Amino acid sequence: MEFSFGLIGFLIVFPLIVAAVLLFVRQEAPRRVIVCASGAVIAAASVILVVMNLGAGCTLMEFESMALDFVCTGISVAIAAVIIWFAVRYKNLLAGVLAAVQVVGTLILEFTFSHGIEVPYGLYFDSLSLLMTFIIGVVGSGICIYALGYMEDFQAHEPEGAPDRRPLFFALMFVFLSAMYVIVFSNNMEWMFTGWEVTTLCSFLLIGYTRTDEAIKNAFRQIVMNLAGGLGFLVALYCCALTVGTFSFYEFLVIGQNNPALTTLAVTALAFAGITKAAQMPFQTWLLGAMVAPTPTSALLHSSTMVKAGVFMLVKLAPVLHVSPAPSIMVMLVGGITFVLCSFMAISQSNAKRVLAYSTIANLGLICACAGVGTAEAVWAACFLILFHAVAKSLLFLCVGTAEHHIGSRDIEDMDLLFDRMPRLARFMMLGIMCMFIAPFGMLLAKWATLVSFVDTRQVALIVILAFGSAATFMFWAKWLGKLSGIAGEPENVEVTVKPTEWVALLIMACLLVLACVFLPLVSTVLVEPYVASVYGVLGQDISTDNLWLSSICVVIVVAVLFAGVGAKQKCRKVDVYLAGISRDNEGRAFQNSLSGTTQATTRNWYMESVFGEARIAPVGVVFNSLIMVVAFAVAFVVTPMVF
Amino acid sequence: MTLLTTLIGTLLFAVAGPVVGCLLAGLDRVISARMQGRVGPPVLQPYYDVRKLFEKERVSVNSVEGVYVACALLFALLAGGIFFSGGNLLMCVFVITLSSLFFIMAAYSTRSPYAEVGAARETLQVMSYEPMVLLMAVAFFQAANSFDVAAVLRLDHPIVCTIWLVFLGVLFILTIKLRKSPFDLALSHHAHQEIVRGVTTEMSGPVLGMVEIMHWCENVLFMGWIGMFFVWANPVSIVIAILIVALVYFLEIWIDNNFARVKWQFMFKSAWLVALIAGGVNVAFLAFL
Repeated sequence: MEFSFGLIGFLIVFPLIVAAVLLFVRQEAPRRVIVCASGAVIAAASVILVVMNLGAGCTLMEFESMALDFVCTGISVAIAAVIIWFAVRYKNLLAGVLAAVQVVGTLILEFTFSHGIEVPYGLYFDSLSLLMTFIIGVVGSGICIYALGYMEDFQAHEPEGAPDRRPLFFALMFVFLSAMYVIVFSNNMEWMFTGWEVTTLCSFLLIGYTRTDEAIKNAFRQIVMNLAGGLGFLVALYCCALTVGTFSFYEFLVIGQNNPALTTLAVTALAFAGITKAAQMPFQTWLLGAMVAPTPTSALLHSSTMVKAGVFMLVKLAPVLHVSPAPSIMVMLVGGITFVLCSFMAISQSNAKRVLAYSTIANLGLICACAGVGTAEAVWAACFLILFHAVAKSLLFLCVGTAEHHIGSRDIEDMDLLFDRMPRLARFMMLGIMCMFIAPFGMLLAKWATLVSFVDTRQVALIVILAFGSAATFMFWAKWLGKLSGIAGEPENVEVTVKPTEWVALLIMACLLVLACVFLPLVSTVLVEPYVASVYGVLGQDISTDNLWLSSICVVIVVAVLFAGVGAKQKCRKVDVYLAGISRDNEGRAFQNSLSGTTQATTRNWYMESVFGEARIAPVGVVFNSLIMVVAFAVAFVVTPMVF
Repeated sequence: MTLLTTLIGTLLFAVAGPVVGCLLAGLDRVISARMQGRVGPPVLQPYYDVRKLFEKERVSVNSVEGVYVACALLFALLAGGIFFSGGNLLMCVFVITLSSLFFIMAAYSTRSPYAEVGAARETLQVMSYEPMVLLMAVAFFQAANSFDVAAVLRLDHPIVCTIWLVFLGVLFILTIKLRKSPFDLALSHHAHQEIVRGVTTEMSGPVLGMVEIMHWCENVLFMGWIGMFFVWANPVSIVIAILIVALVYFLEIWIDNNFARVKWQFMFKSAWLVALIAGGVNVAFLAFL
C-alpha cells in the first residue's frame, strides 16, 4: 500500500515538474526527449499502479496537510487572477464576474465555514480511479507524444513570424494530466475542486492557444460555461460544510446512499458541475468551439481528460443518484436527450472534427444516462463506455489531425481515396470508426449493456432514445467509413512524411483499442467488476461471458481483414467502373457527355440537412434540458433540509 | 458452451440456410410470375443462376470488394447460426448489422457513382429499420425474460400474444430488410425500377454469386425472426410458425408486385414512425403492466 500511495503522489507531482521544465525549453530536440521520456514514465507508473492493485476495492489513505489546503486556496486565487486578467484584456465581463464570484466564494468557504471540518483520509483509490489512471496515463501521455510531431507541422503551417508558444502548450498538457490525477485520487473534495478548476483553466488556455479572434471567443465560451459548473461544485461544497458536515467524498457518498434527502442539493449541484464539464446540452457549444485548438488539445479534451472528469464525477455519484430521484431524473434526461439529438446532428456535419465532437457529446450523454440510472449494470456499462470512448476517440482525433496536415483539409468529403493516399492512416481511422459504432467492438457491447440496464429499470424513454440514437449513429459513421474505403487507381502516397512520434502514438492507440476489445471479458473481471462490487455488493455484467468471447473472436476476424485481408493482391482481371456511356478517364470518373464534352461524375455523402440540421435540432435540446435542470434544482432546494 | 453451439449452428446454417433460401427465392420468382400472368422459371432457377455466376471469370474494379463481400457473407452465416442455435437475439441483430456494413463498404470501395448512390441508400435503409429491430429485441426480452431465442421454447403461449404490436412493426420493416418494393431503394430485383443496379453495380461473377447467397441466408434468418413470434413450448407450434412464415412471405411477394418504389423521405419517416408507435408503445406497455 505504501508503495501505491507513493506512486499516486508521484503521478500528481511528476507531471507538474515536467511542465515547469518544459516551460523553459525552447529547442525542439530537448523537448522531444523530455516529453517522450516523461510520457513513458507516467504511462509506466500508471500501469504499475493499476497492475499492482487489480481488483482493489476502495482504499483510503491517511493523509492530511494544512499546508496543502492553503496551497489549494492559493491555486484557486491564482486561477481567478489569470481569468480576470484575460477577462480585462479581452473585455469579457461575464467571465471576470464569474471568476470573482468563485474566488470570493472559495475564500469565504475556506476561512469561515470549513473550519473544524477535517478530512483525515485525503487520498484514496478504487478500481474506477485505476481505470481512469490507465486512461489518463496511457492515452493522455500518448497524446502528448503525438503532439510533438503535430506541433512541429503546426508551427510550420503558421504564418511567418508567428510567436512560438509551444513551451506553454506542452507545459499545459502535463499540468492537465496532473490535475486529472488530483481529481481521481482526492478524497478531500476541496482538493478535488482545485483539480477541477485547474482543468478548466488549462483547457481555456489551450483552446485560446492561437489567440485568433475565433480562438479567444471560443475559449471564453468554454470558461464561462465551466465557471458556471465550478460554481455548482462550490454550492455543493457549501452544502457539504453546512448540512452534511464532511468534505470526505467517500463519506459523502455513504451518507448520500443512506440519507438521500440530506444530500439532494449537493448531489444536484455536483451533477450540474459534471454536466457542464461533460458538455451536455445546453452546454454542448463549448466543446464544439474547442476544435479551433490544435488537434492534440481536442484529443486530450475529448478522450482522457476534461470531459472525462465530468462523467467520472457522475459515475461516482451513481449510487447516490440511484436513490435520489430529482438529480437522477435530471442526469438521465439531460444525458438521454443529448445522446439522441447530438447523434442526429452529427449526420448533418461534413467537418470531421465536428462529427467527432458531436459523437463525443452524444456518447458522454449515454454515460450520463447510465449514471443517472445508477444500478450496478448501468455503472458497468458506463465504465466500458468511458474506456472505449477514450481510446477510440483519441485514435480518431490523432488520425484526423495527421490527415489534415497531409491532405490540407479536415472535411470528410476531402478524405475521398484516403485508403490509397494514406493507406496505414486510413486503416487506423477505419478501425477507430468501427470501434465507435459497430458490434463486435467494445463500444457497442457497452451500449448493449446499457440497453439491458435500461430495460431492467424500465426506463422506456431511454430505451426508445437509445434505439433511435443508435440508428443515427450508424448513419453518420457508416457514410464516413464508406468515404474512406474508396479505391481508384494508384494515387500518390502522401503519408511518408508523417512524423515517427505520430506513428508511435497512433500505433499505441490502435493496439490498445484492439487489445481492449479482444480482452474485454478480462478487463471486466479485473477492473470494472471490482468497482461495481465494492460499491453495490453485486456484479454488474449483464452480458454472458460466452457472448463477450464470441465478440472477441469477431473482433479478431474484422481486424485481420482490415489490416491483412484488404489490399492483398488477388488474381482477378481489373476492369474500369461503369459510367453509363463512353468513359474518358476512369480513375477520375470522367465520361463523355451528350455534347461530346467531358463531365466528371461526383458524389457527395448524404447530410440530410432538412431533417437533421443543427438549426432545427439544437434549440430543442437547449430548451428542454435547461427546463429540466431548473426544475431539478427547484425540487432539490425544496427537499433538502437546510441548516441555516 | 454457447461458443460451441454457436459454431455448430453456424456450420449447419451455412449448409441449410442457402438451400432453404434458394428454394424461397425460386418460389418467389414462380409466384411473382403467376401474379403477373406468366409461367415463370423453374423453382431451381436461382440455383442455376448462381452456379453460372461461379463459373464466370473473376473480374473486378479493385482487389478489396470481394474481401468485403466475403466478410458480409461470413457474418450473415454467423448471425443465422446464432439465431437458429437458440443464441442471443441481440447478438444476432448486431452481427447481421455488421454484415450489412461490410456489404455497404464493398459498394463504397468500388467508387463507382452508381454503386455509391446505392451504398448511401443502403445506409439510409439500415438507419430506417434499425430502431424497430432493436425495439423488437427489447420487447422480446421483456416478454420472454431473456434475450436467448431458445427461451421461446419454454413459454406457455406464443410470444406474439404479448408483443403483437411489435410484430406488426417488424412486418412493416421486413419489406425493407427483404429489399422488396416499395422499399427497394438500394438495389432492386425488378429491372423497371432501376436504371443501373445500385449497390451491386460493380459486382460480377463469383462475387455477385456470394451476394446472392448472402441474400438467401438473410431471407431465411428474417423469416426465422417472423417464425420466432409463433413458437412456444408445444411442438405443434413449429408447424404453425412455418405456415405463418409462408403466409408472410406470400404477403411480401404480393406487396412487392403491387407497389412502386417510394422516395427515401417516405421510407425513412414511415419506418421511424412505425418504430416509435409500434415499438415504443409495446415496450412501454410491457414495462409498466
